[in-house]
Amino acid sequence: MARKNSATTAIGKSAPRPDAYEKVTGGKGFTINLKLPGMLHARILRSPYPHARIRRIDTSRAEKLPGVKAVLTPKDVPQTKFSPVLFEPTLAATMVQDMLILSDRIRYAGEPVAALAATSVEIAEEALGLIDVDYEVLPAVFDPEEALKPGAPQLYETAPNNVAVGPVFSFGDIEKGFAEADYIFEGTYETQRVHTCYMEPRVCVADTDSRGRLTIWSSTQHIFGLREKLAFALGLPESQVRVMKPPYIGGGFGGKLDMGLHEPICALFSMKTRRPVRLEQTRYEEFISTTRNPIKMYLKTGVKKDGTFTARYAKSILDTGAHATHGAIVVMVHGFFGFLLPYRCENKKWEGCSVYTNNMVGGGYRGYGCPQGAFAVESQIDEICEKLKLDPVEFRLKNAHKEGDPHPFNPGFTLSTYRFEDCLVQGAERIGWSERKAAGSGRGSKKKGIGLATQPLWVSGCMGFPDIYEHSGAIVKLNVDGTADLAVATVDLGSGQIITLSQIAAEELTLSPDKVRVTAADTDTVPFDAPAHASRVTYSTGNAVKAAAASAKKRLLEVAASLLEASPEDVELVEGTVRVKGAPKKSMNIADVVKRAESPFLVMTAQGPQPTSVQEKGTIIGVSSMAPPSNPSPATAEFVEVEVDTETGEVDVLRVVYAHDIGRVINPQGAEGQVEGGFQQGMGFALSEKISFDQSNGACLSGDFLNYKMPTAPEMPTQIESIFIESNEPTGPFGAKSLAEPCVIVPAPAIANAIYNATGARVRQLPITPERVLAALGKL
Amino acid sequence: MKKILNLQVNGETHEIAVNPADTLLHVLREGLGLIGTKRGCDSGGCGCCTVLVDGKAVYSCMLLALSAVGKSIVTIEGLSTDGKLDPLQEAFIKAGAVQCGFCVCGMIISSKGLLMENPHPKEAEIRQALSGNLCRCTGYHKIVEAVRIASAHS
Repeated sequence: MARKNSATTAIGKSAPRPDAYEKVTGGKGFTINLKLPGMLHARILRSPYPHARIRRIDTSRAEKLPGVKAVLTPKDVPQTKFSPVLFEPTLAATMVQDMLILSDRIRYAGEPVAALAATSVEIAEEALGLIDVDYEVLPAVFDPEEALKPGAPQLYETAPNNVAVGPVFSFGDIEKGFAEADYIFEGTYETQRVHTCYMEPRVCVADTDSRGRLTIWSSTQHIFGLREKLAFALGLPESQVRVMKPPYIGGGFGGKLDMGLHEPICALFSMKTRRPVRLEQTRYEEFISTTRNPIKMYLKTGVKKDGTFTARYAKSILDTGAHATHGAIVVMVHGFFGFLLPYRCENKKWEGCSVYTNNMVGGGYRGYGCPQGAFAVESQIDEICEKLKLDPVEFRLKNAHKEGDPHPFNPGFTLSTYRFEDCLVQGAERIGWSERKAAGSGRGSKKKGIGLATQPLWVSGCMGFPDIYEHSGAIVKLNVDGTADLAVATVDLGSGQIITLSQIAAEELTLSPDKVRVTAADTDTVPFDAPAHASRVTYSTGNAVKAAAASAKKRLLEVAASLLEASPEDVELVEGTVRVKGAPKKSMNIADVVKRAESPFLVMTAQGPQPTSVQEKGTIIGVSSMAPPSNPSPATAEFVEVEVDTETGEVDVLRVVYAHDIGRVINPQGAEGQVEGGFQQGMGFALSEKISFDQSNGACLSGDFLNYKMPTAPEMPTQIESIFIESNEPTGPFGAKSLAEPCVIVPAPAIANAIYNATGARVRQLPITPERVLAALGKL
Repeated sequence: MKKILNLQVNGETHEIAVNPADTLLHVLREGLGLIGTKRGCDSGGCGCCTVLVDGKAVYSCMLLALSAVGKSIVTIEGLSTDGKLDPLQEAFIKAGAVQCGFCVCGMIISSKGLLMENPHPKEAEIRQALSGNLCRCTGYHKIVEAVRIASAHS
């Protein structure tokens, strides 16, 4: 292999993903492909009403249908209330425990009412139609601001005025800040409900052994979280549940970051029938199972003439739907990372409110509350700059944190690497920012414009966050053929952890990445890892993988030193060979050391059985389980060029430039790919995607890909460029920080700002449809 | 009432019993075990189930198995021969076009349909040919690049 960087064997190279070969030839490792002998198929009966009480369920006709093996109604399931969010401890004080596996109170159209398991999907579906349910229909409320008003239908007795959580945070003196301002800007910004659109539907198979122990295979982002939540909801000890890590999952993006109801339902059916039970959600079920929570944000901002913030106030109304689920936590991340923290300002106040409505439940989705926040904040900054005739690049730099500052969220940590300025300066130069024309100054009906948005502050995991798991573990085992096996609980959602973690282990062991193999894993066999979420895996799991590899390396050097008759301090590992320092001819490659360590104690030779050394014996293995040392912030700026047809209102994105400080880049091709995909999700959020509901009965109107418009290949810009500013994060594995989410957060405001620059028209509501563009232009 | 029919898949004839309402996707996956053809939506929207029928890329979830009788069907499993990958499969790996990989078999089959008809497509033609295949991971950028690489080698 050609070495671009002679100082590394694995890091910083676009090593091909080992999973790619299997995926282009069929991809067996997806949960959707799993079949077990005697397997039953479960289906869920869902409520047609958005708000109702179930008076009576009669399943007798369904149970008589040949092939139906078991039925579940609310009275057949444990009535333990839980929160399905996978990354918080089961009974964390910050969690809102308001869900049941099946309940006799229905709070959204599509909420599960009953379930059954049959010998085929077809029989199960036919039997659903034979379940008779008597509903008492209740008045419903769909608009969160209506839900807050006195007299609105109440969803929970425990949540007066439908408030799930209502956090308020205040810093400095907000009134003084507004009094000191030369200008005050106010605006309302609204985002819509969008779906993560992972391509593999949620699917699981649950099986029970002869002693009642449960095993579950699921397309999930967190095997340990699923074990914990499933055990809790079913009233089982955690040791009675084993969750298998899916070799591959067909995307997640946060949408598989909670326990779905299909998982406990299959588990209960399997415990009841002692057979494997499978449930694959239909695409319609997917569209009503998880979403990015819509947020309406009221912003009021005070600035000096020179653009310095003097006061920042926001109120955020988040529609959490029928259950709190992620909505209770999304609102907090939104408040802090979407509003309070990204820029410096002494006086700031935020009032958040996560509101119950009779809409579908929310969920995790890349950015976790911050795409909604950034749309408001970054759009308003553009409005401020336009009014005060300030340069948006300089405005942001004036108010930004600086490298070396204490971390604004957790002052115990430092922004030890923070190259936000480089992101802005290099991105601006690449897009041609200095050539940007005045807003709406283009001639003709098709107008071009350039826009900028940033996510100045983000996370590399959840270290320092209350009630959120953040530790990782890994096992690295050396093989007699000189390769290494790497076992981790973390699931590769597609973003490439299989290769990046292999590269980290390989680098520590001075191997090429193809010598490391990520193995199968499950909750019985590997150390805990927090989920694949919060942009955390490269940094947090990467640190654990590096530590496990270092531990294996230490043992390797001990064994090799004994074999080479040297002391462990006098040997070194160089490109897969252990050698005595200063005597490179005295050396052994890894395979020979491992063979000796794994050999029998007595080795037969021509002279008879010869003993080897007891100290050399045993598998060379390294194990780690640890919390990461910090929570470094990446920095992101994005520049977008659009063309707006002012006759039709259509927006065409022509060119995109991203500049990221993500620390050391482990795999450049993988990093680019993640950014390009991030733009697609951000552009869909900006321009076309929306889960729509019939406002009279709560029925989903966009339950398939024909009515839910995610961007296709011809709609995407042909140029998406990535600049990576490689700071060397001292606490990261080989200098790495994180990447996953900011690239999804910034496109909507960047596009909105580019549309403004092209046309002079401001749209403050997503998605920015042609109708909204024409309305903003005064043409509708 | 099931019917016995013969399906030509990847150059082999398969005798199989199907229900009249079974889609080709259902028969490929559940009947023949050809799981490279994925079920992403089962409603003609995502393209994960794309196969070639007489050389044209079609959604197998939108085609009844009965109507595929007498036609030549190619799935992803039919592209590589004796362990040797199709140039498109090679190019998808090389270009970094594979992330979660759930859409990728459908993407490759649609690309194959395109290159069989138009061995040297322009970028806009590649993007148009892939317009029926959704991907949520890659932004399509490296997928388009992969098709370009494969076409340059054909």
